Amino acid sequence: MSLVDTALAVVLGTLAMAAFGFVAGLTVLGIDRKLAAHMQARIGPPIRQPFIDVAKLLRKENVVPENAIPWLFHAAPVIAFASTITILLYLPIGGIAPVFGGAGDLILIVYLLTVPALAMVAGGFASGSPYATIGAQREMVILMAYELPLAIAVIAIAWRLAAAGVAEPFSLAAIAANPVWGVVGPLGIVGFAILFVILAWVTPAELSRVPFDAQEAETELAGGLLVEYSGKNFALFYMAQGVKTIVMAALAVAIFLPWNLSDFVAMTPAVAVVADFAFFLAKVLLVAFFSVSLIRVSMARFRITQIVSVYWLWFGVLGLVGLLLIVLDAYAGVW
Amino acid sequence: MDLLPALETGFGFWNPLIWLGVFAVALVIAYLIWTFGESGYKRGTEQTKPFISGNPEPAKGEVHLGGGHLYWGFTEALRGYYDRVVPLHTGVLNDYLLWFFGIAAFLILIVGLI
Repeated sequence: MSLVDTALAVVLGTLAMAAFGFVAGLTVLGIDRKLAAHMQARIGPPIRQPFIDVAKLLRKENVVPENAIPWLFHAAPVIAFASTITILLYLPIGGIAPVFGGAGDLILIVYLLTVPALAMVAGGFASGSPYATIGAQREMVILMAYELPLAIAVIAIAWRLAAAGVAEPFSLAAIAANPVWGVVGPLGIVGFAILFVILAWVTPAELSRVPFDAQEAETELAGGLLVEYSGKNFALFYMAQGVKTIVMAALAVAIFLPWNLSDFVAMTPAVAVVADFAFFLAKVLLVAFFSVSLIRVSMARFRITQIVSVYWLWFGVLGLVGLLLIVLDAYAGVW
Repeated sequence: MDLLPALETGFGFWNPLIWLGVFAVALVIAYLIWTFGESGYKRGTEQTKPFISGNPEPAKGEVHLGGGHLYWGFTEALRGYYDRVVPLHTGVLNDYLLWFFGIAAFLILIVGLI
């Protein structure tokens, strides 16, 4: 690819993914609110409510607290939204290969997932508010907490694919092309099912949703690290959360549910692109429902110490059990 | 010739220049959305005081989060581990060297056995 082609791919790919992330992210947030409301016997807001919220926030005053560090306070939401969009370019979207699948792998995605969280931490500390400071401190602790099970899941998947002879096992394109369920026996399937559950439980912490939202904790910290944010700054954080919901769901889909409709039903290439995209959105919604809506409706908030225990002890041990099963499965295949 | 080759790590790969390019474009998009929004607010009013649920704002020193408390929650949850490990940090160089050589010998033994 020439330099001009690469530059064009960077600009057009980023624009396309920003538009997709914005529309799909806010729509998923709207559906999440609607489903959560129905599960609580409420009617809930219309699905387009997040779009209305963003439009309204952009017209609201953008208050900068007197104790804040203004440049950092303003930069944090811009960086959070921008860094979240970049992750979408490394993920397959339905039958469409990642825009830059050859320029970044699963390890890069795990690292990039920390950037929006760190931007929120910086914004919280820059707010100059006791609530925001505590929220930012908790965000860092939560970030450290869920990295362990997430890292175990990523390593286990890549190791098993490498053991199965898949070249570039950390490549999302390679993972999507070789569904993990097809390369393992019964023990491995149980192991991967455990890792799938772990990834589903890491998602609410990545998105600061109940029961892992101790960094915002409305009833306790009045919004925590976002307490001082309003107007367009808050709108960007809200949009970043929508895009991140798509990122987490698309990551789970790429690793654990990579099948396309066109793999099973004969169709023309043009129809296949549309059908696979619609199927991808359905899978994203399914993952978002089980890992965000259902969990947040059925549970209360964990205390910060409980969050660390849940991730490092319970999910850490569970992840190692999953990894052990996958290793045993690989050696059982050799024997 | 590939002018922007990805860095290979054996199994993994990534291209920092591509990511920087994508991040720069995404920053421009985010900034344009940001500039599209309202910027004004009432400076020097009650509006700009930190929200502390109506309580008076304590002195800055009283609410400062010290480095020792930055990871509270993590250290508290894993107190059983930290209670055993922290006392081992005696500050005596001989102790640290003993730990270093002891662990290194143990690892060499394990690697040798495997």
